[in-house]
Amino acid sequence: MVRGFHHKLEQQAAPAFFVRGPSSFVRLVFFTALSLVLIATDSKLQYLSSVRQNLVALLQPLQAVANVPSQLYRNSDEYFTAHHNLLSENRQLKQLLLKQSIGLQHLEALGVENEHLRSLLNANKTLAESSILGEIVHIGRDPFTKKVIVNRGASHQVIAGAAVVDAAGVIGQVTHTYGTSSEVTLITDTSLAIPIQVARNGLRAIAFGQGRDQVLDLPFLPANVDIRSGDILVTSGIDGVYPAGLRVATVSQVKVSADSPFAHIVCVPSGGVENHRQVLLVSIPHAESLATEELIAPVKDATGQAKKAAKPWSSGKANSHQAGAVHAPE
Amino acid sequence: MHQSKLKSLLLSLLIAFIATLMPWSAFALNLRPDFLLLVIIFWMLRAPNLCNIGAAWGVGLLMDLASGGIFGQYALAYTIAAFFASIYQRRLVLFNNAQQLLYVFSLLLISQVSLLILKIFTGSALLGWYYFLPSFSGVLLWHIAVKLGLKTGGRPSGT
Repeated sequence: MVRGFHHKLEQQAAPAFFVRGPSSFVRLVFFTALSLVLIATDSKLQYLSSVRQNLVALLQPLQAVANVPSQLYRNSDEYFTAHHNLLSENRQLKQLLLKQSIGLQHLEALGVENEHLRSLLNANKTLAESSILGEIVHIGRDPFTKKVIVNRGASHQVIAGAAVVDAAGVIGQVTHTYGTSSEVTLITDTSLAIPIQVARNGLRAIAFGQGRDQVLDLPFLPANVDIRSGDILVTSGIDGVYPAGLRVATVSQVKVSADSPFAHIVCVPSGGVENHRQVLLVSIPHAESLATEELIAPVKDATGQAKKAAKPWSSGKANSHQAGAVHAPE
Repeated sequence: MHQSKLKSLLLSLLIAFIATLMPWSAFALNLRPDFLLLVIIFWMLRAPNLCNIGAAWGVGLLMDLASGGIFGQYALAYTIAAFFASIYQRRLVLFNNAQQLLYVFSLLLISQVSLLILKIFTGSALLGWYYFLPSFSGVLLWHIAVKLGLKTGGRPSGT
């Protein structure tokens, strides 16, 4: 067979290595142009997102195969966990449950009282948010972005824009939903911004990710802003995307330099952005109607923009600056 | 022979792709070698008639899909690396193993640098020096594979 192959080549006029079709350079130019067209189409126009969804669905079986080794490892690890470990963990959990149930009783009383006061004031009732428990299937593979894939998708009524929280705080937002999984952009990603409020004094601002682990940034705040290190930042809820009052981050550093009119504020996310497997996907039903209802009274002109702000933040910084222009001035 | 080579090419690509899809996280993700590009380089050296720049482009597209980034980024990076692999492919018989390692390393680096440039243009944050770790781990993997008996066409050093 090999000899026959060589024989065939020798019969031709040109030596074997010249029989290759178009030259490398032509191919380089052609495929580079093709890639650039794809990049331009995908980044500027939204045509490819549905194509991508279908292709990602095709990758699911391969993904399942790739997950097998780590799952086996985890299962065997769980199997061999010592008995006393389980017992001590159980004891701890019971204590925690007791503590939390006491807190919950307080909360119930407060809830009743709050509802009563609200009805007295004739204020709108806050809408109950719906939440879905999901599990992180794998971490995004692109080292430039901070994304994770969660095993709940469009078929579980997850919507793009839902907030993703764990026990300690907000960790991200759903940016794409696929059939049975969805892509979550973590708050540390550069394209994600969260409207926050300082718990101590109610100051509103917007926190941006930095693309690095465990760092959030509060840009565009004046040097004399009333934020100290140790302040707790919670979601403000005025965007109609995140439920209000979820913990986001703790301020770790406030630097003021003479050459900049802005303070340099660095925060550490409270949620275990990189370490938990179970997360809660929280979405506010009818986010748009909530936003308009609440904002209609004070500023009539701003409602249009507020509606825009209520949409998911997935389109990145441009959108969030717009929202900042509506809400940020104090 | 053609057929069996094609089969092993596809099989190796499948294995490399599954290895890429494995749940790498945190530091392991920074260290993960670019399995698909290594396989592409290997086959471009071994069977340039089966695996050319077009194949590299297609595999890059697959990688784009897996990484969830903008379509065409890995495709372009792989295309450029494959171009350099193809123009020096005929000179490879003159290389010894050490030179070949250097050559593979520079190909991996070329793909990473082109990806970095693209990412900067599309507005990503700059990563630290560890961004280039996959090139080092990739060339290490290549070295191990050669030591284990993978024939890559390089002559043993010193001859």
